Amino acid sequence: MKSYIKYLKFSKAFQVTFNLSNMSLEARVGTLKLRNPLLLASGILGTTYSTLQRVYEAGLGAVITKSIGPRSRSGNPNPSVFALKDIKSVINSVGLANPGYSVFREDIGILIENKIPTIVSVFGENQEEYVEVVKGLQDLPILAFEVNLSCPNTEKGGTQIGTDPVAVKEIISALRKETEIPLWAKLTPNVSDILEIADAAIKGGSDAIVAINTLKAMVIDIQTKMPVLGFKRGGLSGAAIKPIGVRYVYDLYEHFGEKIPIIGVGGITRGEDIIEYLLAGATAVEMGTSLGVAYPENMIRFFQMKIKKYMKEHAYTSIQEITGGAHK
Amino acid sequence: MTKLTIPNDKPLMGKIIAKEEECEDTYKFLIELPIKAERALPGQFIMLWVPGVDEFPLGIAGFEENILEIGIAKMGPGSEAMIDKQIGDYVGIRGFFGKSFKPIEDVNHLLIGGGFGMTPLKLLTTTLLEKEKAQNIHVFEGARTKGRLMYLEWFQELHDKELVNFHVCTDDGSYGYQGFPTVDLEKFLQESTSPSVLYVAGPEKMMKVIFNIGKKYPKVIDMQMSLADRYMRCGFGVCSYCAVDPTGWRICVDGPVFNTKQLEQISDFGTYKRLETGEKLRI
Repeated sequence: MKSYIKYLKFSKAFQVTFNLSNMSLEARVGTLKLRNPLLLASGILGTTYSTLQRVYEAGLGAVITKSIGPRSRSGNPNPSVFALKDIKSVINSVGLANPGYSVFREDIGILIENKIPTIVSVFGENQEEYVEVVKGLQDLPILAFEVNLSCPNTEKGGTQIGTDPVAVKEIISALRKETEIPLWAKLTPNVSDILEIADAAIKGGSDAIVAINTLKAMVIDIQTKMPVLGFKRGGLSGAAIKPIGVRYVYDLYEHFGEKIPIIGVGGITRGEDIIEYLLAGATAVEMGTSLGVAYPENMIRFFQMKIKKYMKEHAYTSIQEITGGAHK
Repeated sequence: MTKLTIPNDKPLMGKIIAKEEECEDTYKFLIELPIKAERALPGQFIMLWVPGVDEFPLGIAGFEENILEIGIAKMGPGSEAMIDKQIGDYVGIRGFFGKSFKPIEDVNHLLIGGGFGMTPLKLLTTTLLEKEKAQNIHVFEGARTKGRLMYLEWFQELHDKELVNFHVCTDDGSYGYQGFPTVDLEKFLQESTSPSVLYVAGPEKMMKVIFNIGKKYPKVIDMQMSLADRYMRCGFGVCSYCAVDPTGWRICVDGPVFNTKQLEQISDFGTYKRLETGEKLRI
């Protein structure tokens, strides 16, 4: 009898898993179709083709590379990344370390050869540099360029550009003239009015808005009385910033509605967080910090199962139906 | 309460309670941590923060309750700043990171190291001594000259007490036999009839040579090698600067110790590593 009950339990669990595994999680960002809405955020596991391929094969919808600039850059001195356990978050000041687009073409080439949907994050210190990078890569079948207008860890460029609506519009429209490949503008939360910046990006010709990048942050060691990061200041990611990201996505969706796809990013550590972002108005989500675990493969599987379970419970048949569900 | 390991958090500030010259340009430090942990496993590493200067990965030579032993050689501004530190100074520790050596029972344990690679092998020796037979533990160490042999006294004393078999050599013949550790290693492998496991830590080029030697002998049932000598930022698997191709394994989380089966899949093993920009550098 006991084993029969065990069998029933097992078979029920199996059926649920089987039913869920048949559900489609297909997502759309503008004209792009993705196998699911889970994307790898730029800056995490994105330095080599091999880690990008690994997390895509583990079940993501697409991957976004580390931000690539015009030439090789060492970034900031260590410590440049560490965890803040009490708030389940990570602070970093990597500072756009990258090999430069001409060297990174090799890694992108391998990804494309292996049929990995690849989005390339690009940055520059000024408009000319952004254009140079996009020009240098646009012959490759890249899914989209994510335009990093928001890195807080550099002296010039990044946040400085991303907080100026005139500069944002100019850069996006300059890139628009250069390429047919979709452009996603990644915005900084470190502004008083994100809607103004998003509006500038849309007017410049952006195909999607990505919100948010890391928040300005700092850690001081009280024993030595010194800032811990080598660059002193950094950006915060992880669970602590999720409510902030959700708020920005909600605001953007409320203002722009379906005029522009929004990609939610910031602090996703559970499947529930992804659903929250979708309900706030996101069509897809990016995650990074939470994949810094021993088995990112398991994490991605859990996320997918959670979304499918939620869709079943709430009678959703597609991801698109969830988007904006919290705006009643 | 004693935790299993120290938490992955911002640098935990530890106080230097002992410092001594271990060998030429190399110092041993004992650092007292503010929390107790059950253990550090052999092959795991820490990120050592020298406040205001740098942070870098470093092997663990010993750990008991809350006292951490490290060995550090002059290799750049970060290590030089550490060597300048005195008893009573504070440094930051993050860790303990990575997968450890996993000794297999009832085999010949062949530990082969060079330079800074001797640090994790010291902790591995301590661990093996707790349960393995002395006659099965062999340590092969080589250096340019006597003054460069790390933990020479410690290993020599264990050898004299017949607790381990210490095979020591120098390039110039100033201590032990003249030549490379591979000479005695091959001799041992040719003569022995029972299964052996190789545990290796040191420069990657040296490890690749040993890997190729080990592959020639079917009685070498596993080779465990530590690829910790790579550029790292985070230490816990988010930044991927230390990742290897084509598998996408991060040395800090999926390694730093890899076994034979894994090493065979790593195309950059002994060939190239990534710089802090992500560019490849030939080893």
